[in-house]
Amino acid sequence: MFRQRTLDKVLNDYLYDVLKCVRCGFCNSVCPTSNISLSYRDSRTSRGRIVLLQAKHSSVLNLSIESNAIQELMDLCFGCRRCLEVCPAGVRIPQLIWRVKSSGPLRLNKFFYTYYGTFEKLGAMIPTLSNLLVKSNFGRTLLEQILDIDRNAPFPSFYGDSLEKYIKKHSSSNGDRGRLALFIDVFTNYHDVELGIRTVNLLQRLGYRVEAPPQMEAGTLALEFGALKRAVKIARFNIDSMYEFIKNDGKVITISPAAYVALKIDYPELLGDEKSRIVAENTIDIVDILLNEYDDGRIRFKGPVENAVYHHSCFTKAARLTTSVKRLLELAGYKLTEFEECCGIAGIWGLIKKHHEASREIGNKLFTKIEHAQMPVFSQSETCRLQLKHYTNSRIMHPLEGVMDRILL
Amino acid sequence: MTNYFSKVSSKDIDYLEKLCGSNNVSTDEEDLVTNAIDAQLGGFHKPEVVVWPETSEQVVEILKYADEKKIPVYPRGGGTGLTGTVPVHRGIVVNMKKMNKIVEIDEENMQVRVQPGVVYDALNKELERYGLFFPPDPSSGAACTIGGMAASNASGLKAVKYGTTREYVLGFEAAFPRDGLQRLGTKTFKYSLGFDVVKMLIGSQGTLAIFTEINLRLRPLPESMETSAAFFSSISDATKAIYKIIRQGLDVAALEFMDKPTMGAVSEFKKIEFPNAEAMLLIETHGSKKAAYEEMERCISVVKENGGFEIWHASSKEDRERLWSARKGAYPSVLKLGRFTLISDVIIPLSRLVEAVEKAYSIGKKYGLRTSCIGHFGDGNLHVNWGTGDNGEKIESLHRANDELNRWVISIGGAVSGEHGIGTEKKSYMRLQHGESYNLMIKIKRLLDPNYILSPGIAFDLDDLLNKSG
Repeated sequence: MFRQRTLDKVLNDYLYDVLKCVRCGFCNSVCPTSNISLSYRDSRTSRGRIVLLQAKHSSVLNLSIESNAIQELMDLCFGCRRCLEVCPAGVRIPQLIWRVKSSGPLRLNKFFYTYYGTFEKLGAMIPTLSNLLVKSNFGRTLLEQILDIDRNAPFPSFYGDSLEKYIKKHSSSNGDRGRLALFIDVFTNYHDVELGIRTVNLLQRLGYRVEAPPQMEAGTLALEFGALKRAVKIARFNIDSMYEFIKNDGKVITISPAAYVALKIDYPELLGDEKSRIVAENTIDIVDILLNEYDDGRIRFKGPVENAVYHHSCFTKAARLTTSVKRLLELAGYKLTEFEECCGIAGIWGLIKKHHEASREIGNKLFTKIEHAQMPVFSQSETCRLQLKHYTNSRIMHPLEGVMDRILL
Repeated sequence: MTNYFSKVSSKDIDYLEKLCGSNNVSTDEEDLVTNAIDAQLGGFHKPEVVVWPETSEQVVEILKYADEKKIPVYPRGGGTGLTGTVPVHRGIVVNMKKMNKIVEIDEENMQVRVQPGVVYDALNKELERYGLFFPPDPSSGAACTIGGMAASNASGLKAVKYGTTREYVLGFEAAFPRDGLQRLGTKTFKYSLGFDVVKMLIGSQGTLAIFTEINLRLRPLPESMETSAAFFSSISDATKAIYKIIRQGLDVAALEFMDKPTMGAVSEFKKIEFPNAEAMLLIETHGSKKAAYEEMERCISVVKENGGFEIWHASSKEDRERLWSARKGAYPSVLKLGRFTLISDVIIPLSRLVEAVEKAYSIGKKYGLRTSCIGHFGDGNLHVNWGTGDNGEKIESLHRANDELNRWVISIGGAVSGEHGIGTEKKSYMRLQHGESYNLMIKIKRLLDPNYILSPGIAFDLDDLLNKSG
């Protein structure tokens, strides 16, 4: 007979985080899903989720944590990590929710998202067919039926070739400024390849040798779907590979904030070892590399003063990269209006049928502000850009796209 | 006694669903549990049903029905209370989260009319566009509601200059169990026509009526603010400086105290490295650019004369916000020292502040507790955080220590709550605090809520209410 796992066993060390929450509600004030029309019910808020776990621990909650009711409520947390910035008690909310999700039932879509890196690779191998599929009614119905991806949700096109392959083909032999390993993650690798290629070319012009050591996807979806064992396996592979690279005087570089967060925050938390700590210490985002180049006098910027919107994506905030991105854009001549609201997509969360409407509701305020601003918009996160392109008519770009043409070497 | 109230039946649920819509009524376990607790170190008290009304009329009908059926009703705002305002007699939780609209901003008269579920910070964010603000500034401002603030007469960091919620509520629309919907108060800043029922309802903790609209007086946003942090090598130096700042009549907008353990906790939370000090003060002045600056200069001279060895000035809005968010997170941050923590909310005559802090430490030592102190010392409000670390077996000693401090505070002319309210936690002090006049409160309660359906077990013991000789 199926035995329910106790909360203590599911949460392990994270049980203490649940218990030390004082229910101040600060997390609700920043949680995107705690501020939509359905969240008048406390159970659908960030604090509510912790209260339910506290109640389970106190034997007050007459529901098992594996039950549909509880798992559905936990699914509302999409791991934006905004709560981590405001929780005074230091409760690791997203991390403990992953663990509760891990006790949920296995579903086909969960299996897919757990192995999304492999499926993305397959899709990129047959780009014409894949793109036909994701753009056709038949394909969208199939995606909706099998993977729960809402047929009206935005979906990225496959580029054709992967960035990883491009780097392997075009890795310059010299590199007197040092060796950089690009930790790519799937979106940049298979969808936003042009941005990746331009970044690699820029780094090579700056004198770096850019390489792509063996790597898997960042594993963010595996975490969000509670596939912890898979996430640990991914983390182990990526850390071992990047560590080997660093040992030979290299640094790791990221373009995607999800990739940065994985190396800097998630992997050290998941693995808790010295290797992941060393990799985290030696990981730098492209934005900070360009700022260092500027501070050392190697690059300058030239371009007209232009008004633009800077959207603070959740992962850029979590990665504490916001200040750097703003500074880079300002140096390049942009006068920024800042919008801090979440766009609602949260990786793949907003694409899923049951969340799609909530995703749009979360993002609505931001979409309206962007439409009113009538300026180009910079957002570092790839899926935020996908969502903003889908719901607004503005020009949406990665900050590098606005900066690269203004760099003078 | 336990049978005094009726249980909620399926017929009652049907009635509530018909009245408010089935989406706005829940008996689901997850909804009962999340409405069963607030931010106090206390247990869960599950209601039998949760209702989210959308109109004043629905609130009136709920109360009328519950009164007829003798079913307990507990209004709930942000659920951030620190005194256990929870449904101890079960019944209906009337959750005001859906009544969260800013009804009218009267810029010319510097007033705002809001529904009770509006969150404090959200209101001030909206008011900022008009150059206005609602000043009491509780630390829980990110999550607490205006209804809850009025029900507990909340205040916070800026009370020393601007006062408490009581000073800002001009009027209510409120639902009473027997008297239906009443409009109370005026749109004027003063009037002289009979009892001030508005003020009576403030701090009544949901025991007399449920607020359905609140009319607040506002203040213009100050033209300029100066914020400084001052560090001291002894607590008594810091408290002396506070006393002198107040005694000299310096116009401070905030005068906040933190001791060493609290500084350690918030330093970790906000990644701020403080100097090695036993105490720090956060000082803020508001006014014209010149006035705010000059007043801060005067404060700093007093600080220096009284042993302040290092002073930081917030040079930007970001610096200021960082210091204040560190202060606002002080209580939950202290929980890192151990999860069993109880917070006191005593308010003390200013001349006894040094003594009160010393008393708190000595009581903490007596019971073997981790003790840390923070407070809005400009108005004498001291929060002592008592902690047992992670030792759940010593929880009783938290309550004993708190009780000893509370009784001492009453004996010197202070009060056991400055801003958190009564809840279930402090009701046992009501008679000690108010003496015979507590009976007047009971009489008023009996008059307005003769079946005691509103928030039973909160602020008043049901036994006291049922005991007619009381």
